Amino acid sequence: MEKTVRVLGLGNVLMGDDAFGPWVIEFLSAGWTFPGEVSVVDVGTPGLDLVPYLSGASHVVIVDTVRSDGNPGELRLYRKAEVLKVPPQPRLSPHDPGVKETLLMLDFAGTGPEEVLLVGAIPGSSAMGVGLTPALQAAVAPAAAEVLRELERLGCPAAPRAGAIPAAPWWEAPASPVVH
Amino acid sequence: MGKKITVDPVTRIEGHLRVDVEVDGGRVSNAWSSGQMFRGIETILLGRDPREAWLFTQRFCGVCTTVHAIASVRAVENALQLEVPLNAQFIRNLIMGAHAMHDHIVHFYHLSALDWVDVVSALKADPAKASALAESLSPWPHNNTLQLKAVQNKVKAFVEGGQLGIFTNGYWGHPAMKLPPEVNLLAVAHYLEALEYQRKVNRIVAILGSKTPNIQNLAVGGVANAINLDNQATLNMNKLFEIKDILDEMMAFIEQVYLVDVCAVGALYKDWLPYGAGVKNYLAVPDFPLDTKGTKFDLPGGTIFNGDLGSVKPITSFNDPYFRDNVTENVEHAWYEGKATKHPYEGETKPKYGEFDPAGKYSWVKAPRFQGKVMQVGPLAQVLVGFAQGHELTKKWATKALETAGKVAGAQLSPAILHSTLGRHVARMVRTAMICEITLKHWGLFVENLKKGDTTIFNEPKFPSGTVKGFGFHEAPRGVLSHWVVIENGKIANYQAVVPSTWNAGPRDEKSQPGPYEASLVGNPIADPEKPLEVLRTIHSFDPCIACAIHTLDVEGKELAKVKAL
Repeated sequence: MEKTVRVLGLGNVLMGDDAFGPWVIEFLSAGWTFPGEVSVVDVGTPGLDLVPYLSGASHVVIVDTVRSDGNPGELRLYRKAEVLKVPPQPRLSPHDPGVKETLLMLDFAGTGPEEVLLVGAIPGSSAMGVGLTPALQAAVAPAAAEVLRELERLGCPAAPRAGAIPAAPWWEAPASPVVH
Repeated sequence: MGKKITVDPVTRIEGHLRVDVEVDGGRVSNAWSSGQMFRGIETILLGRDPREAWLFTQRFCGVCTTVHAIASVRAVENALQLEVPLNAQFIRNLIMGAHAMHDHIVHFYHLSALDWVDVVSALKADPAKASALAESLSPWPHNNTLQLKAVQNKVKAFVEGGQLGIFTNGYWGHPAMKLPPEVNLLAVAHYLEALEYQRKVNRIVAILGSKTPNIQNLAVGGVANAINLDNQATLNMNKLFEIKDILDEMMAFIEQVYLVDVCAVGALYKDWLPYGAGVKNYLAVPDFPLDTKGTKFDLPGGTIFNGDLGSVKPITSFNDPYFRDNVTENVEHAWYEGKATKHPYEGETKPKYGEFDPAGKYSWVKAPRFQGKVMQVGPLAQVLVGFAQGHELTKKWATKALETAGKVAGAQLSPAILHSTLGRHVARMVRTAMICEITLKHWGLFVENLKKGDTTIFNEPKFPSGTVKGFGFHEAPRGVLSHWVVIENGKIANYQAVVPSTWNAGPRDEKSQPGPYEASLVGNPIADPEKPLEVLRTIHSFDPCIACAIHTLDVEGKELAKVKAL
């Protein structure tokens, strides 16, 4: 398979720390440019609609929040086999972004990615509202560094943007008076 | 007092729905549907520029992205009485159509078919017999023995590799699973093909929306797609023909595969046809506008009360007061302050969380009503209001579906069977076929309009000082979606979204009238209270998408089983 790499940020930008994945995507897009075979996308919370983003890619890097023992902002890295090790919950699983199910489905169909890296951060508060808690904000750059390291390993490194401006996600812009 | 079963949560995607049922003598005697997550995202919009509201509403839900974007721009346009250029209507319609087809196909094959299909049983199938059966019902070229044998080998390899987690529902060999092995094999084969088709149709949203899943091309007053038929960088003839090719392929898949599968499942489970009707008041809104004002549509809307098709009353425009003035939400049984019934323009979001109390408050979902009545929304509502109004396309596909199912069942089936759990699946398929035809038609209208030299895509919105109010509706995949906005001096002063799953999953109201989920479960058989497959069948038939939940990924697998029988 020709090398096609997708970097996907998962999470709901209106739900506090759940915006971590999309935040890292904004951070990467603001500071680096990527070679043609790499696409960097904020996919939100698509559930099983992940199919189009995972199918046909040879390598996938997912950035998301993960449930794990530890403090908010700590990173956890998982490879495909680890993601698939625990089978998906019997059809009642809550809040499941569908990553496991989509990967298994595509493996069954024969169109799944060869390799997957999941860069996960343990969330603090995922209450309704915009903005990351300080621990998660501090984890954005380290998570992005993991993504960049993976791209280098895959032989398609990102290049720093000259004169880059800091990431400013649109969803964090304050409500402001309208000028007529 | 019967046995009580709690299923928590019941959806596979997006959110958190809890269903409690009481079982007496092997049947559900009472049910409660509870949204377990606070849903007050609208407050994020207060004080914002109405022109950017759609960017935020698109993030309400990761599965229903485009639909909240469309409803939002329509609400603001309605407040300004702003017309939308024809090209923009058609571009929006193409996106809506592609999104709906994608959503419905994923729902049937990848989210709910496993309630009816036993994957492991496919191993016992005779591929030649399966092929003969399929070819007697459909000209689809991929139902041959060789291809079905290959699918069976895939299933075998997965089972032997212990990887069947993909199909885990814990219900293999359940006494309520009744399909013959050959039909199970066909269903698995089409499950795989459907993966490819959902990916294909998503491409249309990507071409027109410039990004998926969160589109970038909308604007209050139109769209932001530059059109130049000869320019590679804009929407051009090449891209338009790519869209047309995909739509043609979708039409074949829907007619030759999806329609046949739904009808076969429905016919082979005909014992289930009497279950799951519940609320027989139906509400649908018109969609796929054909003009700039939103007064002519290709999908009809309206209301039906008490299952009487003769009672149908149409909803006819984006300004129709019959819809605008008759929607309310009640919070007597929802975790909000007070017991009030309010119109969405006056709607409040003041949370007051308490314990789950079936006699008092037990859900984060409010109870929407139309003229004080509980309404079922979704594809079934849409198909019935269309059928009742003599809408040609509805009649054509509904008739074809009933004939195909009747052929498999060996019986003549009347439209009355649609008031049921299985009827919701049939109606969703009928709607998918209609939408594919309509989307193809609108592709043609769009190209025709462009050929006339019209490339207008946007009318600029101007916000007056003072207060204006608007509502925007959209017949989304899960049914009637409406956004209600109050704008003061160009800023959002109130915003309420009344979403399809609120109509269907809402709790009881001040008159103790149960919501559609609750009513539809009563009378369902329960073979095994530890494995309430039948509850899932009926709830899944509505295509629940309830909260706009957080999505922390649980790689390490600490979640516990969520079915509790007491």
